[in-house]
Amino acid sequence: MARAAPTPGQKLSFIFFIILGSLFLYIDITSNNFKSIKNGFKSFKISSFYVVKEISIEPLKSIVNLSKSKSKLVEENKDLREALEISYINNYLVSKENIFFKDKEIIKKAHNENNYKFEYDIAYLKSIDPNMYKCCDKHRMYIDIKQNSDNLYVESIVFNTEGLVGQIIDESRFYEVLLLTDISHSLPVKLNSSEFFCNAKGSGRSEYIICTYNHLVWTKEIEENQIFYTSGLGGIYPKDIEVGHVSSIEIIDPTQTNIEIKLLANPLNGDMFGVLKY
Amino acid sequence: MISLLKRLFLIIFINFIDQNFALLFSKIFIIIPLTFLAFSFYVYKSDKNISSLEAFSFGFFVDLISDSYFGLNTIIFCLTTYLINQNANSFKLFSYLQICLFFGLSASAYVGFSQLIVNLYDFSYTTLLLSLFANIIFCFVVALVASYYPQRLSIKL
Repeated sequence: MARAAPTPGQKLSFIFFIILGSLFLYIDITSNNFKSIKNGFKSFKISSFYVVKEISIEPLKSIVNLSKSKSKLVEENKDLREALEISYINNYLVSKENIFFKDKEIIKKAHNENNYKFEYDIAYLKSIDPNMYKCCDKHRMYIDIKQNSDNLYVESIVFNTEGLVGQIIDESRFYEVLLLTDISHSLPVKLNSSEFFCNAKGSGRSEYIICTYNHLVWTKEIEENQIFYTSGLGGIYPKDIEVGHVSSIEIIDPTQTNIEIKLLANPLNGDMFGVLKY
Repeated sequence: MISLLKRLFLIIFINFIDQNFALLFSKIFIIIPLTFLAFSFYVYKSDKNISSLEAFSFGFFVDLISDSYFGLNTIIFCLTTYLINQNANSFKLFSYLQICLFFGLSASAYVGFSQLIVNLYDFSYTTLLLSLFANIIFCFVVALVASYYPQRLSIKL
């Protein structure tokens, strides 16, 4: 469709608006009369930008920040827990209340050098089957040792913040730990008075080991809740480490009595361990 | 009313792009006045004559949002609108090349005029000359795109 050429009236209006524009331009260049309008518009622009940002971007940003801070907190919490667990493991070794101190050979050196750093390494739990641990005979655990030295760890003892857990029996990608409760494990134990010794075998039940003896040979009366310690006779575990207490005594026949010892340490509590070469 | 709002938002959006591109191109002494070209395109494509009041209002609005002197865009918008209205029928006889040359020249005239007003002491002929070529090339590109993708660019304003 053809467009009509501007009429003289339209031409005049164009001339008028061009003159008006020129006037505005002249006034604006030579004076500050339009400054308030410009500043007002600028402040409107800035405030509307902030309002729009507050409504649209800020909620999204806060969600992102929240998730970020949450994951950061989780990370920090994990680090703190790890540090705390290491300090517990340290405390287990250096605590004066701990029966570990009874072993003068370990402690003497630390005391003389005024250095409580025992040569043990920190290990992280890699896998343990809790179902197997609760139900069956084979109680094994796999750990990954954060190595500080090129030690050979087979036959090293493994402990957690509560006490002894077992010993390392195999070294491949990860270290296999034979737990005290495994039926193939045997732990030489004794009473504090050193009047009674026996080999406590794993019961295949969680947290219990069984000490079988002939009470015609060992006449010492054993009572419930008596505490058993390692005897150190096997050459793997240091002596005088508290193992657990007597939970029940069962006389099988006139020559055989079973003492059930409830262990202090549960390997399912915590995922950090100390590995000590004795 | 909706159409007016649509045009205003489009002007704001193009002006926003214009200001961001200006920063980029100023390093190579080129000014492509996208807002002015968009308005010229709107006047050119319009079925009826654009009134002087509308051109004045748009110019004033562009002055406001681009923080330039009041009257600067107003004068050029009014003048361009008058020229396009005057030659609207003649443009139909022109080739794309001629139209592109017209818009490229008017864009560089805009650059020259605005530089005279806002940047008199540092007026640069290099900028003016480079902008002239850049604007003509830019108009060619737009015309080429429009001829290859005519439906995409037939924006109903």
